[in-house]
Amino acid sequence: MLLKPAPLKRIKRNLFSSPFDACVSLLLFFLVGWFLSNTIHWIFVVADWSVVLHNIPLFAFGSYPTDQQWRPILWLSMISILFALTFLAPRQGLLRKSLPLLWIFMLPCGVCLLAGGIGLLAIPSRSWGGLTLTLLLTICSASLALPIGILLALGRQNSLPVIQRSCMFYIDVMRSVPLIAVLFFGQLLIPLFLPHDLEVNRVLRAVVAFALFAAAYIAEDVRGGLQAIPNTQREAAVVLGLSQPQILQFVILPQALRIALPALTNQAVGLLQNTSLMAILGLVELLGIGLSLLANPSFIGRYLEVYVWLAVLYWIVCTAMALLSRHLECQLNPTAASTQPS
Amino acid sequence: MTTAIRAKGLVKSFDQQQNALDSVSLHVDSGEVLVVMGPSGSGKSTLIRTFNGLESLDSGELDVLGIPLDSNYDERHIRRIRRRVGMVFQQFNLFPHLSILDNITLAPIRVQQCQREKAEARAIELLDQMGIVDQVSKYPAQLSGGQQQRVAIARALALDPEVMLFDEPTSALDPERVKEVLDAMRRLAKGGMTMVVVTHEMGFARDVADRILFMDEGKVVETSPPNEFFNNAREEHSRRFLNQML
Repeated sequence: MLLKPAPLKRIKRNLFSSPFDACVSLLLFFLVGWFLSNTIHWIFVVADWSVVLHNIPLFAFGSYPTDQQWRPILWLSMISILFALTFLAPRQGLLRKSLPLLWIFMLPCGVCLLAGGIGLLAIPSRSWGGLTLTLLLTICSASLALPIGILLALGRQNSLPVIQRSCMFYIDVMRSVPLIAVLFFGQLLIPLFLPHDLEVNRVLRAVVAFALFAAAYIAEDVRGGLQAIPNTQREAAVVLGLSQPQILQFVILPQALRIALPALTNQAVGLLQNTSLMAILGLVELLGIGLSLLANPSFIGRYLEVYVWLAVLYWIVCTAMALLSRHLECQLNPTAASTQPS
Repeated sequence: MTTAIRAKGLVKSFDQQQNALDSVSLHVDSGEVLVVMGPSGSGKSTLIRTFNGLESLDSGELDVLGIPLDSNYDERHIRRIRRRVGMVFQQFNLFPHLSILDNITLAPIRVQQCQREKAEARAIELLDQMGIVDQVSKYPAQLSGGQQQRVAIARALALDPEVMLFDEPTSALDPERVKEVLDAMRRLAKGGMTMVVVTHEMGFARDVADRILFMDEGKVVETSPPNEFFNNAREEHSRRFLNQML
């Protein structure tokens, strides 16, 4: 057993074990210190945060009517509570089992709350904005892209050449087109093809474009998972008399998706950040709010503050997603799951 | 005595040069234990994998529990056979993402539409027979090879099969784990189960087999009772094989 050395000794061993090490350590200390002091000085002295502080509701909800803002607040707090519950709920029990359903329920719940209609005042999608819109875009397109991606991945393995080829064709085409082109197509070109009086919601068009794009990448991630499942698993299931759909549902997909989970998280984080492209195409999500604030004469020149604030917001959301995914990986790991007494 | 499996002139080839099965004919009576032996690459595994349609036939006729099977590979017939024939693999092939209990109850619940409580009670009974009832809530990766193989046997038995196929069930096990699996199979044979076992375990073959079928290069070399096979094998081939093994 290795004894833990005293802190001072440890510092000496790790940082100052030779004259060269000592020089490098000192230099690094100096650089980090200089950087930190400058940053702190900027944050607390130079920066003028009024552009952020005065516009918190704008960053959160965009131009959503003030008297109706309890709706996005309700949705955002439900998501936060669910997030906390996911980490705190015990490993077994009713709550744990209902968590996936609750998460899925967040999607229609968010759309209904924001759009209104049934008993609530209808709010057109052009007044949606800010973090709410960013999250809504991400959640909607991710939950649409995942099933499409899984179907594409399965289609690529299909024995029928027609299905196999068309799935491969779709994936290859989508991956060779830049996302911004797909979004332009959805926002600007599709309305030209549709009759004048038929107007498809702009948010919906964006969601579909994001989903179709992300599905191609998700399909490849899922395919990686599918290929990692040995054929003997399929044989074992076939011998037990399970039908092909049952084999997929109970044996192949649960294992394949678990293997693909880290890659799928990557896609989800990428999707969240890609929603900022919609700022160019006229949706006022987080970045869009930032841009429109910067165009306001009273906040002129406050670029750094606005972008630092946006970076912090994106960082928080992405970190939350990463934590969630790591937690899910842990939950799905069978050996970790059974350390719990039964 | 009724016949469980009857095969006539089975032919199967994976490439042009050599037949994995070269007109194999055999029959297995119900309640009988047939042990299939032979050097590696002799077509033993291919043979028993044709019995439940894991390998298709190039030609020949099979009759498994009264259900005919030939080179047409009729999916419906194969599914009817699989419902009544259990199989145990060399590599156990348990589902790693499911607990031991779920591994065993998956097929009874999803295929036979058994109630969950009933299926679980039956699974625990089977695990008890296999001597591993204390592992019920663990996952396959937490069990030793011998325990995993016994779970695999229980999983196959949960569907109440009339015939059990064993494809080298002890070849992937540590030597000290072989006995526990063979003991479980012995008990099964004593209970009157019809079994076709591909194995290299001489002791098991000598004690449990009703007949031994010796294969080489895709052909049946001889079929004899164990006494005769081990003490004075008819064929030169078999004698050479036995000399190498013993």
